[in-house]
Amino acid sequence: MAEKKKLRIQDLAKIREKTRALTTIRESEGRAKVTVHMGTCGIAAGAREIMDALLDEMQKNKVQDVIVSTSGCAGLCNREPMATVEFKGQPPVKYVDLTPEKMRKIFAEHVLCGRLVPAFALAVGSETVY
Amino acid sequence: MKQYRAHLLVCAGTGCVSCGSFKIKEALEKEIQKKKLQDEVLVIATGCNGFCERGPILMVHPDGVFYQQLKVADIPFLVEEHLLKGRPVKKLMYIPPEEKEPIPRMKDIEFFKHQRLIVLRNRGRIDPEKVEEYIAFDGYEAMGKALSEMTPEKIIADITASGLRGRGGAGFPTGKKWAAGRAAKGSPKYLICNGDEGDPGAFMDRSILEADPHAILEGMVIGAKAIGAEKGFIYIRHEYPLALKRVEIAIKQARDNGLLGEDILGTGFNFDLEIVQGAGAFVSGEETALMASVEGRVAMPRQRPPYPAQKGLWNKPTVINNVETWATVPNIILRGAKWFSGLGTKTSKGTKIFSLVGKINNTGLVEVPMGITLRDVVYGIGGGIPGGREFKAVQIGGPSGGCIPAKMLDLTVDYESLTGAGAMMGSGGLIVMDDKTCMVDIAKYFMNFLRDESCGKCVSCREGTQRMWEIIKKITEGKGTEKDLDVLEDVARTCKDASLCGLGQTAANPVLSTLQYFRHEYEAHILDRRCPAGVCTALIRYVVVAEKCTGCQACKNACPTQSIKGTLKDVHLIEQTKCIKCGACQEACRFEAIEAQREEAIQII
Amino acid sequence: MITFRMNGLEVSAEEGWTILEASKFYGLEIPTLCYYEGLSPYGGCRLCVVEIGEGEKAKLVSSCTYPVEQGMVVRTDTKRVIAARKMMIELMVSVAPGSKVLQDLASQFGVTEVRFEPRHEECILCGRCVRICAEQMDARAIGFQQRGYKKKISTPFDIRSEVCRLCGACLYVCPACQLRCQGPQAETTLCNGCLAPDPTCLDYYDDLQCWMYDAGRCGTCVREKT
Repeated sequence: MAEKKKLRIQDLAKIREKTRALTTIRESEGRAKVTVHMGTCGIAAGAREIMDALLDEMQKNKVQDVIVSTSGCAGLCNREPMATVEFKGQPPVKYVDLTPEKMRKIFAEHVLCGRLVPAFALAVGSETVY
Repeated sequence: MKQYRAHLLVCAGTGCVSCGSFKIKEALEKEIQKKKLQDEVLVIATGCNGFCERGPILMVHPDGVFYQQLKVADIPFLVEEHLLKGRPVKKLMYIPPEEKEPIPRMKDIEFFKHQRLIVLRNRGRIDPEKVEEYIAFDGYEAMGKALSEMTPEKIIADITASGLRGRGGAGFPTGKKWAAGRAAKGSPKYLICNGDEGDPGAFMDRSILEADPHAILEGMVIGAKAIGAEKGFIYIRHEYPLALKRVEIAIKQARDNGLLGEDILGTGFNFDLEIVQGAGAFVSGEETALMASVEGRVAMPRQRPPYPAQKGLWNKPTVINNVETWATVPNIILRGAKWFSGLGTKTSKGTKIFSLVGKINNTGLVEVPMGITLRDVVYGIGGGIPGGREFKAVQIGGPSGGCIPAKMLDLTVDYESLTGAGAMMGSGGLIVMDDKTCMVDIAKYFMNFLRDESCGKCVSCREGTQRMWEIIKKITEGKGTEKDLDVLEDVARTCKDASLCGLGQTAANPVLSTLQYFRHEYEAHILDRRCPAGVCTALIRYVVVAEKCTGCQACKNACPTQSIKGTLKDVHLIEQTKCIKCGACQEACRFEAIEAQREEAIQII
Repeated sequence: MITFRMNGLEVSAEEGWTILEASKFYGLEIPTLCYYEGLSPYGGCRLCVVEIGEGEKAKLVSSCTYPVEQGMVVRTDTKRVIAARKMMIELMVSVAPGSKVLQDLASQFGVTEVRFEPRHEECILCGRCVRICAEQMDARAIGFQQRGYKKKISTPFDIRSEVCRLCGACLYVCPACQLRCQGPQAETTLCNGCLAPDPTCLDYYDDLQCWMYDAGRCGTCVREKT
């Protein structure tokens, strides 16, 4: 907003669209959430590159309504790097043995189009926590 | 728009700033640079979060994790653990008093859970110095609607239907005031935002000005359309430098973006705002005194009528509203009068912001729907009294308000029920007191404040507050007589009746309400020469209880005036002539061997 | 023309008149101190308060500044009004017991005790001097300084005035230095030399009944003083 442009009413709606990412993150209101597991095992296995690939895809596709999160070790250390994709109202899907290319594919298929990628998935659902 | 995956919101309201939150922000930015996360993680400074007891505060989104009482040394670990490894740091989270487990999410914490944020909806959520963040959360949408789709009559009808009442203290129906302003003859018409918040312990308006200044600008433009005003003034007290800075930035950004000034949003409507600084007087919060101050004269109230809506600034129609009232307006226009009037009670609609201070665990700023009970505010949101002490009273409405005792804790927060109990909603200051607070001392404190702040024009207030203070001071010094209570009540009643402005008319409230509910404390001071709460120093003596004293010298070392004599393992003695009654010795003693006793019951050791 | 009720009488006044001006027109006496004919009204001494409105909404306002309103109900001598006037006088006498004007007011309104520590000052901050200097003499040499109990009247920065023409108007209008009273007794701070007895009608009617406005001086309602 450095330029001194006088706004019109339509511009307000446009700015809101442009800044959707703000509301998504601060209100935790995304339509989907992608969690990259970044425990020590994850980072050692290359979770950072997975994260970079994910963020790159989000920027390229101008996706504003998906939340990206990190978490600690999920417990299955020998299958790292891992990521979990969760859509609102649906059980989470765990993806394992990831590479940056696989992450991009998952993003294109699952996050953008809603189509699970069974080849990379470990399981659907999460552990029961008493 | 850079693709960030996390936002770190550092609270930068004056409370947290004074605890070093700007240093925390710097440390965060430095650490994030170090870990090469600057393209993924955004750090911004927001306005006050409300939980001022726990500053400096940090919110991590999208996780919604609440971090509190941060130190610069904590930051590297926090960044490594939470942002890189995804493990939120438990030891930096909020742990409720008396409990062991931390509560990670802000929305689960009692303090925040019961609040209903309308006016404060943007607090801790946006960078107040970036207008696009305000717009992102529906900012200026209401203004657009008002300027392009609504007539002035419709705006006033909506505000009236919503039931909004002035939040500055008097609770006058805002719609009625605006209608009077519109109907008044004269031009040009003016708007004023009263940001002279003078009540001790009140910081609601400061928080709004610091956290969400654009809300006020938007509200005032809508008001200008309704009333037909072309110029407005935002009067901010001189003692709020951060608020002044943020509002200045907001006005400049609004002007630059066509949201203020000429041809707003291209609708052809003109309205501009100017900031006026206060000069250090409490009385300049009174509307006629405020107008005198804006005109460059001494801030002294005048008779009303004529009311400001008919003859205000420079004798032109002027509508003055409080900061909170203006900030509520955009919400009503955007979400509708029916939505707003659905909250609250029959006569008091919507929400109210309170500053919860004093002897309370969760000191801070809360916004609650009208109709909530005081018990819920004090124990639910406030978390009760620290140290497990007993609740005694809550002062509502600042120096113009009164005390509500424990037996009335189930009173609902609402204009009429509070006035009926002898207090006043006021601007929303809630000062909680425990059993170690002396109510006579409280009355003395407020009378001292009021006699200092009285403008001095009318005899009833100028002399009345002075004489009431003198009498109460005499009582706290143990020199009071029973007749003094009658004189005190006499002066109080007359001061209330005959004074010219709101300050004088409500100046007697602290005295009258403490006399109504705590007369026994006054009588104890007068008849027993005893201060039940152990506060009035002239009526207490600190003495060493010989049987319990072990001669450990802890009290001697703690005494700031070296008034305690004694050698190791010998019973110590407090020299009364040098003792300043600070109580440090009692706090230092581990054997409960020091007692605060009545002046006359001296133990000879 | 504005019509309203004053002490039960239907009266009319011009728009823009104050209640005090209307009362003077009708010959009703309301005591004043800071009011001075020819100067703008100040509303500071609170002696001229009257009760307007009825029932719960009744309130006291200073008649010298309150404009007349259509249909208003004004009562100039109710119990509340007299109690307020007495307290104002008691407060002012305790500040400046040497002023004959104040001692006379005390006697007139039956103020028989001063329950405050006397301060033996001269000024009661009625502002007459400030207003006459500004409005009639056009000099503006003196003004109010400070606020609250520290308020005082002086020249700017307390230095010798260059615009003061030594006309003496301020001395002329000052109620505290008009005449010195020899009467005040040390114990009561009051003189009470010309004390008028308490009228009995006030308790019963909540309104002074003496239409001569000679509160007790006509002798009809003499009461035993205890």
